[in-house]
Amino acid sequence: MMLKGYSLKRYRKYLLPFIALLVVTEGASIVCHADFTSLWTGIVKGLEFITFMFPPDWSAFPEMIQPAFQSVLIAFLGSVFGTLLAIVFAVFASSNLVHPLIRNITRFLIGFERSLPEIIQLLLLIAAFGLGQMAGIIALALGCVGMLGKLIADAIEELDPVMLESISSVGANKMQIIVFGVLPQIIPNLISYALFRFEINIRLSVILGAVGAGGIGYQLDYSFGMLQYHKAFTAMIVIMVMIFATEHLSQLLRNKIKMEGALK
Amino acid sequence: MIEVKNLTKTLPNGRKVLDNISFKVKKGEFVGILGPSGAGKTLTLRCLNGLLKPDSGEVIVQDALGNRHDICKVNKKELRHLRQRIGVIFQGYHLVKRLTVLENVMIGRLGQISPLRSLIYGFTDEEAAQAIKALEQVKIADLAGTQTGNLSGGEMQRVAIARAIFQSPTLLIADEPISNLDPSNAKIIMKMIRPLSEKIPVVGVFHQPEMTAKYCSRVIAIKEGKIFYDGDPKLSNKKLAEIYGEELSVIEQQEQIYYPFNN
Repeated sequence: MMLKGYSLKRYRKYLLPFIALLVVTEGASIVCHADFTSLWTGIVKGLEFITFMFPPDWSAFPEMIQPAFQSVLIAFLGSVFGTLLAIVFAVFASSNLVHPLIRNITRFLIGFERSLPEIIQLLLLIAAFGLGQMAGIIALALGCVGMLGKLIADAIEELDPVMLESISSVGANKMQIIVFGVLPQIIPNLISYALFRFEINIRLSVILGAVGAGGIGYQLDYSFGMLQYHKAFTAMIVIMVMIFATEHLSQLLRNKIKMEGALK
Repeated sequence: MIEVKNLTKTLPNGRKVLDNISFKVKKGEFVGILGPSGAGKTLTLRCLNGLLKPDSGEVIVQDALGNRHDICKVNKKELRHLRQRIGVIFQGYHLVKRLTVLENVMIGRLGQISPLRSLIYGFTDEEAAQAIKALEQVKIADLAGTQTGNLSGGEMQRVAIARAIFQSPTLLIADEPISNLDPSNAKIIMKMIRPLSEKIPVVGVFHQPEMTAKYCSRVIAIKEGKIFYDGDPKLSNKKLAEIYGEELSVIEQQEQIYYPFNN
């Protein structure tokens, strides 16, 4: 059998999209002033800066411990309150528990939250609560609702409808159906999602700290601002260790839950 | 006693799925509903405890005090009240799999105890003892503390029966309780359901005429939304062919061609 059209001509159909991509990329680089010379000077400057930051100022280490814990605690509180809030939102966002209209309104609210980045929410919250940890905690908790609310609601909507029906068929009310039919079935998923969100919240709490929510992020920002680069380097090391440790702890717990709570 | 009068239900596409269905089931009767798939058996059953509202007709059930109500015309609160005393056995696979066997049995009383107490799983020692008794009746009391998802199909179906017993119902409904079970487990389940009909009326949907012939006291056959037969549970082959249609006998003939070793 002869292979028809099996020559280099077969690449012809990719040619036009490829040229289009090249043109758009070049155009965007011109508009954004992205060029290789400034990349090179940037790399050189950056390396100089890092050698300048070296070595870390270990004497500042003790004063970094407390802000680091503060960041972890902000992330923890944000995750706990956020998860509780997310459960409530998830119940109202599940078609098998509430009227479709209420479900769609709640889903819209959850989606709306997701469309606003945490930093913008924090800036709005700072206007209401002032600079500090409270605004950070609320921003993280709201972030939980946007992500966990959707995930938990999806988990609830996937529950066995006949199982829920069999509970309502003994005369149970909505609240009892939720406590006996919904919660026990989604708890492994719920904890696993909450831990995953906690990992995200740890990173976010550092970033939010720099914007004004306190904690280690604020220390880093402050040290840079005061031109204490050796101290800033210490803060960066502490942040890396902190994120690495919490992430591994959380992953350990999640794996344990996966083993024990395999879908039944 | 449960009385069904002139149930009618038409789907939005104009198909009449229930057409003037009427029957009465008294205490001491174990009624098996037979019929081909899509005939309206399960829909009829769902009308009996208000999971489905018919377009017209009445379903008269008794509450705990012996008062008679039309379950199709009560409000939400009254419906919950009536359901307290209607035991429903679904297929066992639809239990809450991450709760223990005992907790799944306890669910049977949710409508009867104070809602606040139930929200913290606050059952009394006496209720727990009665739940264990219900489990003893289906011979799996030793599994009370096991997570339900770890049970076999037959065991799960027994839990479903124990839940219905624990509910101390005045009417028992079973929706295809033996469809997913092997023959010996199916017989065990039928043997457990039958004695319950001595005290209360029992209505079940089945796909196995040989089982209903053996264990039921009466058979109702539904075909194309109408009652086609109502009477003695022992059906002749001719009657069965009429109920399930000509396809059945054709398939049986084909089966003989496919399995020559039967001869």
